[in-house]
Parts: sequence; structure tokens; C-alpha cells
Amino acid sequence: MINSISDLYGRQLSELDVPQKLLASSAVHQRKAVVVGRSITCSRCGSTLERRQAALPNGHYYCYVCIQMKRMDTRSQLVFADEPNQFSKPEHALSWKGQLTPMQAECAKQIVRIFKNHQRHLLWAVTGAGKTEMLFEGLNWAISQGYRIGIASPRIDVVIELFPRIQAAFKTTSMVLLHGKSDQPYRYSQLTICTTHQLLRFYHAFDVLIIDEVDVFPFSGNPMLHFGVQNAIKPTGAMLYLTATPDEQLLMQIKRGKLSVSYLPIRYHSHLLPEPTIIKVRKLEQLIAKEMLSKPILKTIRSLVRQKQRFLLFVPHIKDLAAVSAAIGHDNLQARYDTVYSADPTRLEKVSAMRHNQLDFLITTTILERGVTFPGIDVLVLKADNEIFSAAALVQIAGRVGRNSSRPFGKVLFYCERKSATIRTCQRQINQMNQRAKKL
Amino acid sequence: MKNCLLCQASIREQIGLDDLFSLRAAKPTIICQACASAFSRLSATPVCQLCGRKLTAAMTDPCYDCQRWEKQAAFSFSNRGLYDYNAAMKTYMSRYKFLGDYRLRWVFMTEMKVAVTRTKRLVVPIPVTEATMAIRGFNQVVGLIDNCRFVNALTPVAATKESNQSAKSRADRLLLDQPFKLVSGMEATVKDAKIVIVDDVYTTGTTIRHAARLLYQAGATSVTGITLAR
Repeated sequence: MINSISDLYGRQLSELDVPQKLLASSAVHQRKAVVVGRSITCSRCGSTLERRQAALPNGHYYCYVCIQMKRMDTRSQLVFADEPNQFSKPEHALSWKGQLTPMQAECAKQIVRIFKNHQRHLLWAVTGAGKTEMLFEGLNWAISQGYRIGIASPRIDVVIELFPRIQAAFKTTSMVLLHGKSDQPYRYSQLTICTTHQLLRFYHAFDVLIIDEVDVFPFSGNPMLHFGVQNAIKPTGAMLYLTATPDEQLLMQIKRGKLSVSYLPIRYHSHLLPEPTIIKVRKLEQLIAKEMLSKPILKTIRSLVRQKQRFLLFVPHIKDLAAVSAAIGHDNLQARYDTVYSADPTRLEKVSAMRHNQLDFLITTTILERGVTFPGIDVLVLKADNEIFSAAALVQIAGRVGRNSSRPFGKVLFYCERKSATIRTCQRQINQMNQRAKKL
Repeated sequence: MKNCLLCQASIREQIGLDDLFSLRAAKPTIICQACASAFSRLSATPVCQLCGRKLTAAMTDPCYDCQRWEKQAAFSFSNRGLYDYNAAMKTYMSRYKFLGDYRLRWVFMTEMKVAVTRTKRLVVPIPVTEATMAIRGFNQVVGLIDNCRFVNALTPVAATKESNQSAKSRADRLLLDQPFKLVSGMEATVKDAKIVIVDDVYTTGTTIRHAARLLYQAGATSVTGITLAR
């Protein structure tokens, strides 16, 4: 519940959620949530609405695009208050004592420059380059300026993993973690770590906004979330995109000079990216449908479990999870394992169990392709030639391996019927980055 | 290519040979196979003859609740539910009614129309209060039968509900007094009519039976019910 005006700073909420006494304040502004002109548009999510779909029988129109965050219609008002940056400005908020590699340090300096100059920039760094640590210097500077900072990602697992790491590095800075499954209440904080959906509740709030894993679903190709980002950042704000696998749209912006870019082709521990091994298997699709797996796959799984080598087992579809799990079960394997997918009600618990060594392996859809680190794991991909696995997804999946300096290598096994174009693209991209890294 | 109204997944519209030869307009696909299969039709299972609920092996027909109703009621009433009120249906209802996504009425509109018109009765929807109407902007029952001929014969007595129905226990609900009254000028329409009352969910049956009692008192010769979920 909204109690004080600070809950409205840089935010946009429905007037129904704001008490009367605050609505009367001169610092609180309102604007129409759904505007009917030549077309019908939603001011919260920026969608242009189809008249037939948006119409209510009482003559009003509602936004069916961002309705999950409470319905806005032509009677609703969005309430907001200007961001006053009421934060302390500590000179040294950073309590992290780690060391950056010279390459990382250079990127970190560049990030500070970007924040200072209010630029738009893409940091294109390989998986396991240590992106989070490279942000610290820039964040430290922004905090010392009293800036309001947002770090957002399309993936809930990414923000959940990010939050404790940022918190450990900036112990005295106020920060809040926001996502759809969180029960942590909103607090006016200098640092907001959230899913990109949550940005729809902000309005001209952030001086610095960082979007991690920018090329991924649901952010990539979702106009609503892109609009949310533009709305959440101050018009003068600095924007930093992070990814290991930029999509066409980002590359196009770089080409047109609308976005600057810097590369980091090598991991923090200076080892090369593990390259995938392609293993051709016949009739995998049909076998999985019959809750079976081919012998070599089961043999590999057995031997990994015997060696206590933990791993992720990727499958393209949710329906494959049960079938593959059953196939492994029929094999009488003595191991602790589970399945997980995006809408899984116990998803967070299962990922946490894997993180805390309570599972030997996890069978997963592409939701765990990126942004998560389970130290020292291997990965297996079943039906790697399936259309669900884009080249970026395969690069990211391979990037789960060898992230830790104590085991900077590991197995990346792609099981497929044939070597598809996306598998070849993935191999080429990893190879190119490794070639670049060797030259350093 | 269209997207499923419930889960946004893209739907490939499948046109079979019989569609090509039938000369009927192809039925537009609104939700995907996966979402559709999460709902459970009551036409395929044994149901209570009076309230339409799914019967398990341990239950009698009519069910225990209906036997109790039969003892106290002075009129005959039976209800037909189209779907089991399972988890998928509960999620649907909360999105349609409580989030207020009026488009979701399209998911069941065709089936509701078939069920309602087949009765050949005068169709009377359960009304919502003015307060609900002000917030929601629509009557969820009317939305479901938008494409049918119906009569708004009932109106709520009180402008606001004193508390949310679903927050009450069964005993509380049974004690509620008549929540409806006849819309003035409807007396002649209702008198000697055969009526089907339409509601979204039949939970305890109190709401729809209150409506039935009122309509019988107004001179209806026969009153039955159809609800989307039971």
C-alpha cells in the first residue's frame, strides 16, 4: 500500500492505489491511462489498441496488453511524482575487494565514461566474462552522484541471482528486488533490481538503467517492454545493454550509429570458451516420445552421475521434460534430479536446490540457458537441432560451462539428428570469439 | 497465424477436409489446444441431476447438497453446468472477472449460446451490483451470452454487496436474504413464462435459487439454470 509520497517518486501507479490525501498534493501529477484519439493507446505500456478488443459495454476502453499489472481503462488515471534523487552521496559505497583483470578494468572504466556522458551503449561480453563485477566501478560512481539506478533483466532467475551479488558489493546502499513472484514490498531505493516487466511501473525514474541479457525473450521483439524501458529512464539518463549474444535489432542500431559498442571476447579467468561436441543420434524425437533415450545418452548420464559431475540437461519443449525424466527413471538410475520450466510453480525452489548441491542434475527448458551460474557443471542438449534452440540460445547454453576458474573447462554435448544451420552458427560464433581472445 | 487468447501461443488454424465440404463457416479458433484441454466438460461425466456437479463414486444422485435444498425449497429447480470448476476454470474466472479482461468472454460465448438457445426458454442473466458494474465496467454473465436474446428481468436489491461472495462460508451464504428484485415493467414478461437463469459459476446454489424463487413468485411456470462452471 502507498503511504508516503516517496512511494510515488519516479513511479506511475493507478489512482485507485493511491490514498486521497496524496492525490491532493501539488507534487503528485496525473495523466490519462488510456487515451482515445485517432487510435486508442495505453500510456502505461505504449500499446496501440484494437477498438473491437478494447471496448467495454459501458462505452469505455481498456488496455488488454498490460492487464496483468492491473487493468487500466479510459477512466483510470496514472499517478506519478517527479524523481527528486533523495539519496545520500557516499564517496565509496563499494565494499567489494576483488580484483579485475586488465581487460575487465578497461571495460569498467569505459562504463564509468558512458554513465558520465549519459550515453547509450552495448557491452558485448562473452558468457562468463564477469559482467557483474565490471559494473561495480560504474555503479559506485553513479551512487556517489546520488543517481537513481535500475538494473533490469527479462529473466526472473537472472535478477534473483543478481540481487545478492550486488547487495554484497554495496552493503550500505538502499536497494530493492522487484519481480512478479516476489513478496518483498516496494521501497523507495537508490538501486532497483527488477524484471523488465516491473519497469512499466516506473516513470522517468532512473539516471542510469542497465538491461542485462537484452536479446532474450520476452524482451526481444516485445514493443511493450521496450516502451517500458524508455518510460522508466529519465530523458537524460544513461543506458547500458549487456549481452553475450546481441540480436539483429541491436546490431542494426550499432550499424546506424545509434548505439556504441565495446567487446570483451575473453572470460575473466582467461580460458577459452568450451566448444560444443556434436553427437548425431538417430530417431531421438521418436524415442523421447516413447519415454526412451538412446544408449549412448543414457551411458553418458550414468557416467556423469557416477563421477559426481553435476550437469544441466536441456530439452526443447515442456512436454519433453516428463518423457525424458521417465526415460531416465526406467533406466533405474540412482540420482537426485528434477525437471523445471517457466510456469513451474516450484521453479524457484528447484533452481535453488540445484544451486545448493541438493540435485545431481536438472532437466530444463531454455529458461536456464543464461544468467545463472552453477559452478563446475557440464551441459547436455537433447534435440539441439530443434527450432526452439536459436544460435544465441545454444551459445548461452554452452556458456554455462567452465565459468569457474577452478574448472575452466567442461563438456558441452549437443545431441541431434543432423547438424542444423543454427548449430553451425553457434559453433562459428564461439569459434570467432575464441579466435579474438587468442589474439589478445 | 493467430495467438491464443489465454496463453499468447501462436495457433495454426487447421482446416480439415470436412470443413472444406461442409459449406459451413469454419469455427474461428480462439484458444490453443493446450489451454482448451485444461478445461473439463461436464457433458462427458455423470453429474447430479439437480445441480449439474460432477459425481464421484462416493456421491449419490441427487447429491447431498441438493437433497438438502429439496427439503427446504417449495419449488422445483435444476441446473446444468457446462464445465467443471477446476483450476483452469478458476484461473479463467479470475482473469475474466477480477482482472476484468472482457475479451475472455469470447472463449465460451459460442458454447453458451448453443446451450442457452437449445432450452427454448426465456433467458434471464444474473445481474451484478452497480458498484461492481462501476469498477468492472461489465456484467460477466451478460458478456457470456452477448450474442443471445435475453431479458434483464432481475436487479440487485442493494447497490453494493456488503462483502465479497467468495469470502463467505456456506452457512453465511444460506442465511442471505433475497438479493434480487424484479425490474419494474417485467411482470408481464415473466408471468407464465418458462425461464432459464444464466450465471457464471454455481457454487452453493444460493444465488441462482434466490433468483429462481423470485421468478416463480412472479408467476413463471418453470425455471431452470445454466452456468458456465459448476
